[in-house]
Amino acid sequence: MSTSAAKLHAQNLQAAYGDVQVLWDVSLTVNRGEMVCIVGSNGAGKSTFLRCASGLLGITGGQLLVDGEDMAGALPDAFLRRKIAHVPEGRRLFRAMSVRDNLLMGAYLRHDKAQIRQDLEHVYEIFPILAERRDQYGGTLSGGEQQMCAIGRGIMSRPELLMIDELSLGLAPRAVELLIIALQTIRKSGTAILLIEQDVMTALELTERAYVLDRGRVVKAGVSAVMADDPAIRDAYMGQL
Amino acid sequence: MIYFQVLANGLVLGGLYACIAAGFSLVWGVLNVINILHGTFIVLGSYIALFSYNFLGIHPFISVITAGALLYLIGHLVQSSLINRVIAAPVLMTLTLTFGLDLLLNNLMLVAFKADYRKLVLDNPLGRLELGPIFMPLDRIAAMGLALLLTFLLHRLLRDSRIGRAIIAVRMDREAASLMGVNVSRINAITFGLGAMMAGAAGSLLSIVYPISPLNSGMFLGKAFVICVLGGLGSVPGAIVGGLALGVIESFGAIWFGPEHAVTISFTLLILILIFRPAGLMGKRGFE
Repeated sequence: MSTSAAKLHAQNLQAAYGDVQVLWDVSLTVNRGEMVCIVGSNGAGKSTFLRCASGLLGITGGQLLVDGEDMAGALPDAFLRRKIAHVPEGRRLFRAMSVRDNLLMGAYLRHDKAQIRQDLEHVYEIFPILAERRDQYGGTLSGGEQQMCAIGRGIMSRPELLMIDELSLGLAPRAVELLIIALQTIRKSGTAILLIEQDVMTALELTERAYVLDRGRVVKAGVSAVMADDPAIRDAYMGQL
Repeated sequence: MIYFQVLANGLVLGGLYACIAAGFSLVWGVLNVINILHGTFIVLGSYIALFSYNFLGIHPFISVITAGALLYLIGHLVQSSLINRVIAAPVLMTLTLTFGLDLLLNNLMLVAFKADYRKLVLDNPLGRLELGPIFMPLDRIAAMGLALLLTFLLHRLLRDSRIGRAIIAVRMDREAASLMGVNVSRINAITFGLGAMMAGAAGSLLSIVYPISPLNSGMFLGKAFVICVLGGLGSVPGAIVGGLALGVIESFGAIWFGPEHAVTISFTLLILILIFRPAGLMGKRGFE
């Protein structure tokens, strides 16, 4: 793949919490408009990778490129300006703030008021329930609605890459279905998506390419459909099915 | 009916108290910093009003703007250069820092302005309101009105502006706020600046009610503290309710128990509230 098509490219990336190294030599690419997933067990470093890719956590080695530019030392606002949005694990809505204000926080760095208002309507179109609940506090929403609000907040920044940490964790199957439909809509508008998902089967079905992370290293990478048929993957991550 | 008069006195005082507490509450709620400097900021605001009036003939109501602006700058600077360095530390650390800064600033004011109580005497008072049994200087009513107006404006700023949303977002979840592109250190500095601005503005308004001395800072700080506990932390409507309540309680306390017991009454109240309604009278944990 050519580097120019890469929205996000990590090369031998290292990351640590204090003295504890969590990511080792992680190389991972998300191209423009592409849908990619990272799978792996708890503690494999999936969330840590997203934290690096949104500037919440500085990297200790290797390279992180966005649109081909080195992001060493960059803070979250720099990643947002380069059109990368991060929907964090656990949604992290502003609980005592209305749904509408939560969504507007997603557009915090933007100043094009008319466009922001349009995008707000666009989010309400994708998630009609949010329009109904626009004046309610974020903390009063159900789990599925909170995830919708968090994703809506993410796309309010008009990202070219939307990173979602644990799309379906703890949500009802019906809510997950709605979220998947929404993701496909968002995808069709040209936004690349990097997905972390504990339901490996769903993740592989949804995406084009996948990376398997194990104890902080990429142990496998390839086309999702191929991986879904890989006996080793089935044994390791779908054994319970 | 003396009680109407007492009630009116209490409400006028309470409006000013609301203004004192709003900034203190904002800083405490958003930054988790108990700003011991707040009382000294208020006194500094009073001195700005006093000197502006005595030397330049500027009415204290106009000085609200200059005192507010100047204190905003001082607050912004203190937060961005000093407190931001230890903002992640436990609350005792920031408390110690603001306590130390308060000793410094307050003693500088003692050296510069002396401890004497001074009074700002208006040359042309607005006269007084006589409403049935109630007598009230119009200047005080205007000061209360301005104090409540400022507090209301702060409330609107937090609710309806982009910066206000960012301040509330930082209060609720720093990391999520930074994921939205919010520069948390900058919002901290703006928040502390706004708190200091409210103190400076309140100080200007108080200059026509209270005698002015650096020694008053502890009293103002104590009141801000009690009002925050009364009204609930980090809520502007809470500061208004708590401020008015404390003003009225103090006024009635003064005629029933004697004015020397005003502080005793407010701190007894503090202890009772902490025992029975630790979340405050408004009883909400959210932010408005």
